[in-house]
Amino acid sequence: MHATKVFGRADAAVRALDDLTVDFAAGHFTAIMGPSGSGKSTLLHCLAGLDALTSGEVFIGDTELGALKDTELTLLRRRRVGFVFQSFNLVPTLNALDNITLPLAIAGVAPNQALLDEVVGSIGLKDRLQHRPSELSGGQQQRVAAARALVSRPDIIFADEPTGNLDSRSGAELLGFLRTAVENFMQTIVMVTHDPLAAAYADRVVFIADGTTVDEMTSPTADGILDVMKHLGA
Amino acid sequence: MLKVTLRGLLAHKLRLSLTAVAIVLGIAFVSSTFVVGDTINNVFGAIFTDANQGIAVVVEGQTLAGASQDIGGGQRLPVPSTLVPTVQHVNGAQQANGVIFRTGATLLSPSGKPIGGNGPPTFGANWVDSPTSPYHLRSGHSPQAADDIVVDAATATANGIRVGQTIQMVFNGGPRQPFHVSGIAGYGSADNVAGATITLFTTPTAMRVLDTQGNFDQIAVLSASGVSDTTLRDRIAAVLPANMVAQTGSAQANQQKQATQSIISILSTALLVFGLIALFVGSFLIVNTFTILIAQRSRELALLRALGATRRQVMVSVLIEAFLTGVVASAVGAALGVLLAIGLARLLGFSLTNGGLTVTPRSIIVSIVVGTVVTVIAAILPARRATRVTPMAALRAAVPEAQPVTRRRIIGGAITAAIGVILLGVGLFAGTGQTLPLLGVGTLALFIGIAYLAPLLVRPIAGALGRPLARLRGVPGRLARENAMRSPRRTASTAAALMIGVALIAAVAVIAASFKASGASAIAGSINAQLLVTDTTSQAGFSTSDAATLRADKRLADVTEVRADSIVAASANQSLLGIDPSAIDRTVAFDMVNGDAASIADAQNVLIDDTTARARGWMTGTVLTVQFPYAPKPTTKRIGGVYRGNALISGFVVSLATYAANFPTQRDFAILANAAAGQSLTAADRAMTADLSAYPTLTIQTKQQFVDANSASIDQAQSLIDVLLVLSIVIAALGVVNTLALSVLERSRELGLLRALGLTRRQTRSMVRWEAVIIALLGALLGLVIGTGMGTAVVRALADQGLSKLSVPASQLIGYVVVAFFIGVLAAVLPARRAARLSILDAIASE
Repeated sequence: MHATKVFGRADAAVRALDDLTVDFAAGHFTAIMGPSGSGKSTLLHCLAGLDALTSGEVFIGDTELGALKDTELTLLRRRRVGFVFQSFNLVPTLNALDNITLPLAIAGVAPNQALLDEVVGSIGLKDRLQHRPSELSGGQQQRVAAARALVSRPDIIFADEPTGNLDSRSGAELLGFLRTAVENFMQTIVMVTHDPLAAAYADRVVFIADGTTVDEMTSPTADGILDVMKHLGA
Repeated sequence: MLKVTLRGLLAHKLRLSLTAVAIVLGIAFVSSTFVVGDTINNVFGAIFTDANQGIAVVVEGQTLAGASQDIGGGQRLPVPSTLVPTVQHVNGAQQANGVIFRTGATLLSPSGKPIGGNGPPTFGANWVDSPTSPYHLRSGHSPQAADDIVVDAATATANGIRVGQTIQMVFNGGPRQPFHVSGIAGYGSADNVAGATITLFTTPTAMRVLDTQGNFDQIAVLSASGVSDTTLRDRIAAVLPANMVAQTGSAQANQQKQATQSIISILSTALLVFGLIALFVGSFLIVNTFTILIAQRSRELALLRALGATRRQVMVSVLIEAFLTGVVASAVGAALGVLLAIGLARLLGFSLTNGGLTVTPRSIIVSIVVGTVVTVIAAILPARRATRVTPMAALRAAVPEAQPVTRRRIIGGAITAAIGVILLGVGLFAGTGQTLPLLGVGTLALFIGIAYLAPLLVRPIAGALGRPLARLRGVPGRLARENAMRSPRRTASTAAALMIGVALIAAVAVIAASFKASGASAIAGSINAQLLVTDTTSQAGFSTSDAATLRADKRLADVTEVRADSIVAASANQSLLGIDPSAIDRTVAFDMVNGDAASIADAQNVLIDDTTARARGWMTGTVLTVQFPYAPKPTTKRIGGVYRGNALISGFVVSLATYAANFPTQRDFAILANAAAGQSLTAADRAMTADLSAYPTLTIQTKQQFVDANSASIDQAQSLIDVLLVLSIVIAALGVVNTLALSVLERSRELGLLRALGLTRRQTRSMVRWEAVIIALLGALLGLVIGTGMGTAVVRALADQGLSKLSVPASQLIGYVVVAFFIGVLAAVLPARRAARLSILDAIASE
């Protein structure tokens, strides 16, 4: 079981996260939603070990992130975590294929060729693998980023507004791809978004406001999410 | 708009700081050169004024035929001592003193080592009892007994010489002689003459030890009251023989000042060249910094443009930023240069006890102007580029895109480089008489042209250098290679700065190695003797008694004296060697083109080298008119043979007897000898050393030792030049630091992404480090190729001046590549640390 637990409490003047406890089930697609400034991005950064908590604990599996040194955290990100950011996901000097295999190359591990082929096939960019990021559209770039996150088979993928810069069709393609990954590979995904349509692709939606969880919904629909969000005053 | 500029300047002060350091270093060097030049001029000016203070008229011999101006004596005919009473009796002359002032007197330390001689020269002089003497006793009394000497105060202090002690001296390579220190004197108010060692004797002793043969070097005349200097000069001139001249004391001082100034200005110009090279290298750094800053600020500039700023305003804003940076950095540099001048003066061997540094407003103003102008000119190109930023294009791009290498740039670069090569070729081979300016401008054009073309070479060379790196170092190596290639122009101009320094150092290495090889081959080809004796302290030669001593030793054979001076032929000064022809084949190997070396046994015959013969149209049998420097009138000689000249022997060669007949003093320049039959070389060497043990300034060398010593002196000159070029290497290294630091800032999001994806800090540092190494190696390789080419061209051009062998010192050149590798590693330390410390969150969150 890849149960992931978060307990956060920030003592800063502005409490980005305020005494928040949440866990994400393995093999599920969870969306985190909340109004601007609700702390959803901070939560994601802490979950991924990019940011440290003032107090509290973050677990990925049995590993407590707060106890890790920088190098250990880096190795953990390399081996057990995948990322899809809102923008600037790819290294501009590397072509698409090299970007996809970059985390494996950093770790000095040969990619699983069958998995690579399958992932590359499913993002539909087989003929564009030798192109550099500047020669790809925004949607293609995000799909390459998603493929990169998937191909190292991490315990968990964190996606931070992955569709934020995409038009609705490209966004739908990307979300469909993430959904497939959850179903086909039992991939655990946590996604921050403010788009109810995007969140509707998830198995479960966690709503946070003012740094703490306020609601959650399983098997969500866009309309249902919209209702909750209205209620939260977003 | 000015407000925006100033805000920008403050915001970028960190980014501009390395640029500023480059300007500071370059200008410090320039300003220190000015200060040192002025200081030395001033010191000598004071010395010559002191020396001629109160002296109305100076009588000297005519300048020798072909002689150059010189601070010491020996370049004029000596003044017969019988002339002193004649001058003394001229109406209006109150006192006339014969003065002797010559090189060749060397004090020995208690351990027997010569004192002074490296750097400032050593002089011997006679003590003149006159109210106007510049020597003022600090302690003891003037020389009275034949073995009394007075030593200058600076030398006395430096060597612990005290009044009353006995000290050994050597004159012109002769044997040791004991003297008694009767006094210690200052010169004017100073301790000595600009660091030169001076020993004063009684007049008869000075004549004896300095071998003046009863002559003086000049007569200093004091006037009776009421007689003007010019009147007295004219009256004295009327009684002088035709080969003597009289001039006023102040005219003499001015002439001496000018003579030194011309020597010092050669020295200052040479130093200034190194300062300007450093600035030139620094200008690459400036261009690079402003280009990168403008690329990074293209959004800000576009916003200004969108808000209605004109192109002109944007350009002016960038130039003002450059101007202010230039002024501040140059001012700091000029001030630093004054401090540097103290060290530089010391390096040149000048003591500053005579009144400290001379800092003129000109030194400071010129330095600041030069630094500011260089900075602004270097910023013009990037500033023009800034004005071309269209508002929309700039607002769109998130990361500044690499500038493409345009066709215009390639053509421009190729033409500039070609012009450079042509100028170099003309300067070296055409014999226009403008060699140095042509070389300077040609080299400059070549460097600029190559710098323009270098972006084309970045991809292939950096790609090739980076390939093994990617294999050995994995992802960091791979990314380093990609990063080095992503902006060819930036990489190229950073590498080009390093290229300049490396090219010059490599050229010097090739020339020096060729000098060594040519020297060794010249020695091998022109000396048959097994053993050589030379004088380490004096170019004036040494006593002929040394050869006589050796000739008496039966363990030695073929003891041959060689004397050297100059002679005027066809209106040009030519070097002249006098050689004993009796054993000429066994001691000297003349490679005869035609004629016979032994023909000089006949006093009518001379030998000449082939280069001079060809240039003048002389051949064996030609009869020509020559002027021996001391001879009253020209004489005719016949060319008895033409030999192949080399680095060691060129010019006219006459027999020792002919030499002796035409020069008043006989001093040997070298002695050649062989081991006698049945004697080993070691035994002969030991015998010679024992024979000459009383002559501490003589150096006894086997032929091989002579070759080695020749190489060592070239090595020394090479390292001096290298030291001066190190400054440009340092500035180029700063350029690497600067480019990397700015690139790291520019790529902070990318670095954040890589860190998020699992690149460790160590791997991040490694990535930046290898990028630096690729840039440094690129610069070094370009530099080596250009430098080797330039060095080869220079060697070829000087082939007929004795530089017959081309030698490319491969191991030395490889050594430079290794050094460049470490320069890259060092330059990357700070930028790499910065890259590794970047907060991942800031990097990926920054919009």
